[in-house]
Amino acid sequence: MKIRTIVLFLFVCLLSWQLRGQEEITIRIKEGMPMIPVAMPEFQFSETAAQKSEINSTIYETIWKDLEFSRIFKMVPREHYSYIPRFNPNAINFKDWASIQANILISGQLEITSDERIIFSFKVYEVASARFIFGRNFGGKKELSRLIAHRAADEMLKHFGEKPLFTSKIVYISETGSDKDVYIMDYDGFRPTRITFSSAIDMLPSWSADNEKILYTSYRNLNPDLFMFDIYSGKTELLSSGGSNYAADWSPVAEQIVYTSSKNGNAEIYLKNMKSGQEKRLTFNPAIDTSPCWSPNGREVAFTSQRNGTPQIYIMDAEGSNIRRITTEGSYHDSAAWSPDGMRLAFVSRIENRFDIYVFNLKSNEISKLTENSGRNENPSWSPDGRHLVFSSNRSGKYQLYLVDYDGRNVRQITAGGENKMPKWQKSPKSAK
Amino acid sequence: MKKCLLILVVLSLILMFNACGKKAAKVAPVQEPVVEKVEEPTTLVEKPVLSEEEIFQQKSLEELNKDQILKRINFDFDKYTVREDMKAILQANANWLLKFASVEVLVEGHCDERGTIEYNIALGEKRAEAAKNYLVSLGMKAAKIKIISYGKNKPLVQGENEDSYFQNRRAEFVITKK
Repeated sequence: MKIRTIVLFLFVCLLSWQLRGQEEITIRIKEGMPMIPVAMPEFQFSETAAQKSEINSTIYETIWKDLEFSRIFKMVPREHYSYIPRFNPNAINFKDWASIQANILISGQLEITSDERIIFSFKVYEVASARFIFGRNFGGKKELSRLIAHRAADEMLKHFGEKPLFTSKIVYISETGSDKDVYIMDYDGFRPTRITFSSAIDMLPSWSADNEKILYTSYRNLNPDLFMFDIYSGKTELLSSGGSNYAADWSPVAEQIVYTSSKNGNAEIYLKNMKSGQEKRLTFNPAIDTSPCWSPNGREVAFTSQRNGTPQIYIMDAEGSNIRRITTEGSYHDSAAWSPDGMRLAFVSRIENRFDIYVFNLKSNEISKLTENSGRNENPSWSPDGRHLVFSSNRSGKYQLYLVDYDGRNVRQITAGGENKMPKWQKSPKSAK
Repeated sequence: MKKCLLILVVLSLILMFNACGKKAAKVAPVQEPVVEKVEEPTTLVEKPVLSEEEIFQQKSLEELNKDQILKRINFDFDKYTVREDMKAILQANANWLLKFASVEVLVEGHCDERGTIEYNIALGEKRAEAAKNYLVSLGMKAAKIKIISYGKNKPLVQGENEDSYFQNRRAEFVITKK
């Protein structure tokens, strides 16, 4: 009897050890370079008025959060600063900063002019070589303190060979009451701006390549028609009507869009030249074909088709030829989004009635799951640098927007109130006109 | 002469009778006043049950739709084929629609909240189309039926359970012209 107990105990130990082993295998491997440790002491600021110090902390916190979010930089915790003498911008002791493991040191200075404008200067130093690397000055209205901070943080990315990210925007649908309208906001969920005002349903907005126009579907004419709204001129143009017209994606390399339309009776994918207005039908299949999405080089289009019975992800050449199936398992996949490096497809899959975001590596054919056991997760869209995604989820009861890193880490809710869904991140941020 | 005699006898008889009556009246109790009974015959006039034709004539489009003259049908999860148990509803809808040839109808396709926005638009459209095709197979003119898909944008009921999902997977029939 005793021996049996011991054997059983050993068996359980072995089993749990094995399970541990399995868990270790699923630990995700970090991509690319190790993150660069950055220290950023409090900014120099002479004013003491409450509102003005609020501007100071807004800029400071925004830059901090941006860099922390980047996956390029790693912020040295503020508690560590208390181990070394107070920062003095006029006599920096780099050895102190090296002692708390900082590789990069950011020094900031804020001024508010008599006409209530902000002047923010920041200087970036390399700690090991004790040298000044670069610096920038930004000036603007005090309402733009967050934008100034994002610009400064983007300079950090640019200096380290990355594309700007923090000034990028997300277009989405916000629902308050019965209205479903198109909104634009900063990538971090701040500064939302409403851009459509119809009482009809608006849905599935996306950006033009120059970020100046929004493609979206509206029921304003009592039919789901595709519209284009120019956010700088305020003009709206009808692009496609008759049947359902939706899920438009603007080519990253040419003046053309792909979108779904059932104007000829069945949901098919069309290519429209935005200069000539000419259209070409890309799919010819009695099944549902929908949700087209350009590859970053504009040569291929990923889409969803139900031609083999269930919705699966396919890729075709941009002319509509050479169709090959990507997803082979599971019975429901949709909303493919091609990563900016062209290597990966993010999409929504339904597995046992759960809707989660998955990423498929086109080179290795490996699939990883980004969301887990938390409501329905939909409409993934990549950040311009491909390190993050935005998606919608009803995990809190209502649909809200969330950010997640490419490896499933750092899930962060960026909207609250009402319902917010169908996000699309700009493909590449360009400074506004 | 005989006639005169007869009249005389009758007259004397009447007189006799009269005298008797007067005597009796004196002892009889006071007669109660005559109450006339006022009655009206019950009529058979009721609020008439309107015929379908009359309802159709009287009601506005909004009222007809609000009263759900045309019943909605439901679909299976992920499917857009017309269920066997929904065919009778479509038959009843078709019967009504065929009676009023001037009517035009919009078939709305809807989905439950499970599934993506994009695919549900297509699925809702297929449901509306399946309902339309069935009505056409029952004799409706295709030109009188338009379809629209709302995908999962307009759930009928809120709730994360099979009953709510079932109610939301539907085709609705909206009368757009009468």
